[in-house]
Amino acid sequence: MSHFSDRVDKALADDNLSEALKKATSQLVSRRSTAFSSLEDAENLRDIARNTKMKILHNLEDNLLKFEKSLQKNGSHVHWAKDAEEANNVVIEIAQKQAVKKIVKSKSMLSEEIHLNTALIKAGMQVVETDLGEYIVQLAGDKPSHIIAPIIHMTREDVGNLMHDRLSVPFSDEPEVLTRIARRKLRQEFLDADMGITGANFGVVETGSICLVTNEGNARMVTTLPKIHVVLIGIEKLVATFEDLNRFLKLLARSATGQKLSVYTSIIQGPGKGTETGPEEVHVVLVDNGRSGMLGGDLAESLACIRCGACLNVCPIYKNIGGHAYGDTYAGPIGSIITPGLRGLAQWHELPAASTLCGACKEVCPIRIDIPKMLLKLRQVTPPKVKASISLRMAIKCFAVIAGIPKVYKGFTAFGSRLLRFLGSKSWLTNNIPLLDRWTKVRDFKTPAKKSFQRMWQEKIAKDGK
Amino acid sequence: MENKLSKSKEVILTRVRESQVLARLPEIMPESTDGLKSHHQPESDLLNSLQKEFDLLGVETYVEKNQKAVCKRLRNLLQDKSVLSWNLDNLPYDAGTVLQSRNVYFERDDKIIQASADIGLTGCDAAIAETGSLVLLSGEGKPRTASLLPFEHIALIRQSDIYFTMSDFFDKKGKEVSQASCIDIITGPSRTADIELSLTLGVHGPGKVIVVIGP
Repeated sequence: MSHFSDRVDKALADDNLSEALKKATSQLVSRRSTAFSSLEDAENLRDIARNTKMKILHNLEDNLLKFEKSLQKNGSHVHWAKDAEEANNVVIEIAQKQAVKKIVKSKSMLSEEIHLNTALIKAGMQVVETDLGEYIVQLAGDKPSHIIAPIIHMTREDVGNLMHDRLSVPFSDEPEVLTRIARRKLRQEFLDADMGITGANFGVVETGSICLVTNEGNARMVTTLPKIHVVLIGIEKLVATFEDLNRFLKLLARSATGQKLSVYTSIIQGPGKGTETGPEEVHVVLVDNGRSGMLGGDLAESLACIRCGACLNVCPIYKNIGGHAYGDTYAGPIGSIITPGLRGLAQWHELPAASTLCGACKEVCPIRIDIPKMLLKLRQVTPPKVKASISLRMAIKCFAVIAGIPKVYKGFTAFGSRLLRFLGSKSWLTNNIPLLDRWTKVRDFKTPAKKSFQRMWQEKIAKDGK
Repeated sequence: MENKLSKSKEVILTRVRESQVLARLPEIMPESTDGLKSHHQPESDLLNSLQKEFDLLGVETYVEKNQKAVCKRLRNLLQDKSVLSWNLDNLPYDAGTVLQSRNVYFERDDKIIQASADIGLTGCDAAIAETGSLVLLSGEGKPRTASLLPFEHIALIRQSDIYFTMSDFFDKKGKEVSQASCIDIITGPSRTADIELSLTLGVHGPGKVIVVIGP
């Protein structure tokens, strides 16, 4: 895979992307804050949600066993998968047993994480993403770039061209028209599919319920029309009771899209009964894939994440580079913890460094996850970089000597600032400062002012003294 | 497969057991659930609050005085369109009488035929005033498809089924809720903002939701 800094360069060079990101993130931020103002006792609710998650994680083994029992009582089949390969194989086996050919999927980050689509296609099955954004991503052979707005990086013209190209429909850049086309195409897929796959926003331990939230209704289609429903759920996604669930739902929609509640909240409790519509079989796959490892250390708190995306929208880094630059399923501040946490720090040590540690993420997190603290922890264990170049080391040594003798230091800075002013054509210098060229390649360097602060200070004292 | 599965379960649970002891999780903070219980509203406010939320969501709302008025309203709304309906005895206000001599499909019909209906007609187990949500508990004769497949969804609401919060409903009807194989909470028409965050209705589910509230 490409290098992190290359991905960042690419993102920064893309004017469309930066325009789209600026517009979308600022809108999402303002919607969130309006929505929270309508929630009485929001701060207390966040504390309670945080506590609820911590209690679940403290006692995860018991909770998982109880959850399994409740699921089985509802008539769902339970499977356990310790890694991506096992999870994919479980789904493939379920599908093969029922001779499944076509699968419809509702958006699931976990399925992205384990590369389920690739595995299913390899096993000879047809897989269709049905969230509008994810469908477009799939048509484009692209990857989602935001937790709740997967095609935040595309313009309406991009989408129009893509649909015109792939679906042989007349070009339009009207979201209304494009959405109608997707409705028509996907409606047929829902009706044809033999199996539906979803993730899970929450699993309720006490009742064995799987909670799914969408605005489009695709999760309802996926869990209602095909005869088999497979749920992929990370082992950390549990809440204890219905009352807990209710509180998390209030926080999730407000944090994600600024709604009081998402349009469709479906709580699935087993297969359809009797002549009722609904799937004949419900399979729940409990997936670990690195989570149990994260639990045993400094990153444990990040397992409380409910994937609302609020931390992405406020992050000064995400706002500039977008989701793809992070290189994996989970972007933004929380992604910079989850990705190294799940996949190992060796390959992903640059992500924790890509943060200003401004703390905005922690501020908006509905669960108050201390993201900056964990990023710092990860930086502490980041493998030491290759030694700095000889010239840089020499320069720093020289600086240490010079800075130690005030008179010499003053002389050098006076000379230096004169030199820089001389070199700078206007008031800005670019590209050519020795040793600083990696910095100045992408940024301007302001030339020093004509009078230094120290000089102004001394002049002021002299003047006031008179 | 069975064997391999139970082995994975064991591996995961062992890892979790070992990890949860080492987990560096933050302290449990003091919390108060006092402020969170519903702020009980007088009955008369329930309907007002609900209507206000429906307005914000773009849900078309009609409040009718009696059964006859509900049926008349329904007849006007249906015109001569085809309907996918809950079984007639699951509809309140004897609304089934309005459906006579129309194209009506039910749960037993093939899903492709169900999908061809213009309008979905349902009752509703609860309406939540706080959020403007309809709660539909699945069950025989109450097909989930009726509130999902057609482009228009008409829901009939009894005033006695309006609750202020979801918790109020769960508290009162806990048993029914726990027995349903699917609880659908519907808050407005199907929508997306995936393309340049511009709001578009009726992506997969109904683009139009109409409620008729009777006595």
